[in-house]
Amino acid sequence: MRVLLVEDEVRLADNLADALRDGPGFAVDCALDGLDGDRMAGNRCYDLIILDLMLPRLDGHGLLQRLRAREDATPVLILTAKEGKETIVELLNAGADDYLAKPFDLGELIARAKALIRRGKGAAHPLFAVPGLEVNTLEQTVRRNGVLVDLSPTEYRILEYLIHHPRRIFSKRELLEHLYDYNWEHHSNVIEAHVSNLRKKLDAVLPGAEPVIETLRGRGYRMAIGPEQAVVQS
Amino acid sequence: MSKAKKSHSIAFRLIAAVLAVELLSALLIGFLSFGYERHIHFLAFDAILHGRVASVLGAVQDAEDTQDNVILDKTDLHFPKDDIYEVYDAQGRVLGRSSNWHGMSAPLPEPPHHHDRYFHLVLSGQQYRVLVCRGSRTVDAGAPGGGKLRHITVLYGAPTARLWHAIRAAVEFYAAGSILLLAVTGPLIAWLLHRGLLPLRQLAALASRVSADSWQFSPPASARTTPELAPLTTAMESVLQRLERSFTQQRTFVSDAAHELKTAVAVVKSSLQLLGLRQRTPHEYQAGLDRSLADIERLEELVAKMLTLARVEDSSATSGPPAVADLAECVHQGVAQLASVAELRRVRMETEVPAGSRAAVPLTQEDCSMLISNLLLNAIQHSPPESSVHLRVTLGQQPGTVEFRVEDHGDGIDPAALPHVLERFYRGDPSRARSTGGAGLGLAICKAVVERAGGSIVLASRPAQDTTVTVSLPLVPHPGAEASPASAWLRTG
Repeated sequence: MRVLLVEDEVRLADNLADALRDGPGFAVDCALDGLDGDRMAGNRCYDLIILDLMLPRLDGHGLLQRLRAREDATPVLILTAKEGKETIVELLNAGADDYLAKPFDLGELIARAKALIRRGKGAAHPLFAVPGLEVNTLEQTVRRNGVLVDLSPTEYRILEYLIHHPRRIFSKRELLEHLYDYNWEHHSNVIEAHVSNLRKKLDAVLPGAEPVIETLRGRGYRMAIGPEQAVVQS
Repeated sequence: MSKAKKSHSIAFRLIAAVLAVELLSALLIGFLSFGYERHIHFLAFDAILHGRVASVLGAVQDAEDTQDNVILDKTDLHFPKDDIYEVYDAQGRVLGRSSNWHGMSAPLPEPPHHHDRYFHLVLSGQQYRVLVCRGSRTVDAGAPGGGKLRHITVLYGAPTARLWHAIRAAVEFYAAGSILLLAVTGPLIAWLLHRGLLPLRQLAALASRVSADSWQFSPPASARTTPELAPLTTAMESVLQRLERSFTQQRTFVSDAAHELKTAVAVVKSSLQLLGLRQRTPHEYQAGLDRSLADIERLEELVAKMLTLARVEDSSATSGPPAVADLAECVHQGVAQLASVAELRRVRMETEVPAGSRAAVPLTQEDCSMLISNLLLNAIQHSPPESSVHLRVTLGQQPGTVEFRVEDHGDGIDPAALPHVLERFYRGDPSRARSTGGAGLGLAICKAVVERAGGSIVLASRPAQDTTVTVSLPLVPHPGAEASPASAWLRTG
């Protein structure tokens, strides 16, 4: 999962980025003002945008309006130090999905970020289950037919991303964009290796069964097990 | 017992004043009309008396006797029955009198020659005005020698009751008219005033809606066009605008301060929570603690600056002896304080203070040093390495002032941001603010300090060339000198 963090207070941005990378293992990009944030959000490769309200050049409210005006549906979590219910109502009405008042609890921020990403992808529960496979996004654990599978952080993140939409085909580029921050291109060679390792680990538990992850040459990857009707839209 | 005297409305006072004036004029009219009517009626009355006297005189005839006496022939005399008359000759013999008259109880005073004489008497309960006239009659006018001249006196009186009745009727008419006028004009004036004061009431109604939450005040057109209300309306508008501006500024300040404080607290909190997110090595803990401590120090600095600003801006806190600071000494302190920062950034500090100058400004030594070090620090922070910051103290252009300029050769300030740089929490140029890490309070504090001392602070900047801050402060007598400020400045020692 890749998160855009727009926050002008450098120290706060550093801490939040560290926490989001450390905890749920998100890829995080930081923007220090509203215009930079707007430009980066224009790439549409984010699963969540965390937005401070008081920003130089373009404030959070303005950024949110621009975002929604170009029909960008990325979930937005607002960080606000402003008082008053009116501001919150105004923001939610302008298309924000959630808000946190400063000073906030880091754990709460992470939980809300995860929930927003999940919701943004149409899932209501942090536990994902398809026949023969269970992914617990809270504990970051994976069970294949009840057997715990030990995955590396990157492998887990790939699986977590795929299981949000079983049977949907994800291109290599899309996976890269959503799993790594701005320098994702440096990782383009290793992702194939990571997917290959992930597939091996999952299939080793149930030898001879249908493979969990399919590689479609020239098109990308998809989770082969799960409900029959493929979800087409992202 | 109410302490304040009950004050009446303007309308009430105006109506009372108009009615009082009307009443006064009614009284005056009554008095004047009484005098006039009395005069006119008495003139007419006296003319009638004269006529009657002439008639009586005409009735005096020759008695055709040997003594050439005269007699009164009453056959042609027809007077109102209440009137009285009497004719007597020079010897006091009564020639004739009316039937209701029996003569005076006391002898009549001798009427003056050629003059009529009036007097009043009461007869059977009635007031009479009596005319006494002297006349003469020539007996045997046709006889040789011109006949004899007989002097006679005629007394004629008539009751004045009717006269007074007429006068009273006339005065009563005027009085009744005046009272009627009062009765009609009272309500009329009240109604007219009610209408005339409508713009004032509208203005008051609109003004009463203004509150700290709703500054909307659009005075009615009637209040603007009424000459008496226009100045009041304009004054109210400008007062409200100024109040609203200061309220908005205050609110913005509180909101900005809250944002800055909450953000600073959020930094500290997140730094510590980040550390506890998972098990870490002692080295990582140490680094995390150091970062947290630095964050807390920034929070501390922010709070200190906000308190300084609040202290300087609180103009009511002027107590104790008037503050005096030696400018040269403050410059010295400021430079010493920032020497290490300047060295770290490889910026040279050059100061130019006239030798031996003893300029004193109305600031505390502490505030004056803070002002200078804040300006120097600001200049150093915006200077590229290997450049210089210049501080020059000179006599001000205005007499009795001293001026100092702090000049840096940095990237300058965007012209659009220049007017706002002195505002509290202004961080228009994010890269500038980030590189210095300030909360945008340093220059706001400088402005507050300078303005409190009655001076001025001006920023000038050429982008990508230089920025100059010019501070002008009034001179005060130096604590060590007894001469005037200007000569204290020039004195060398």
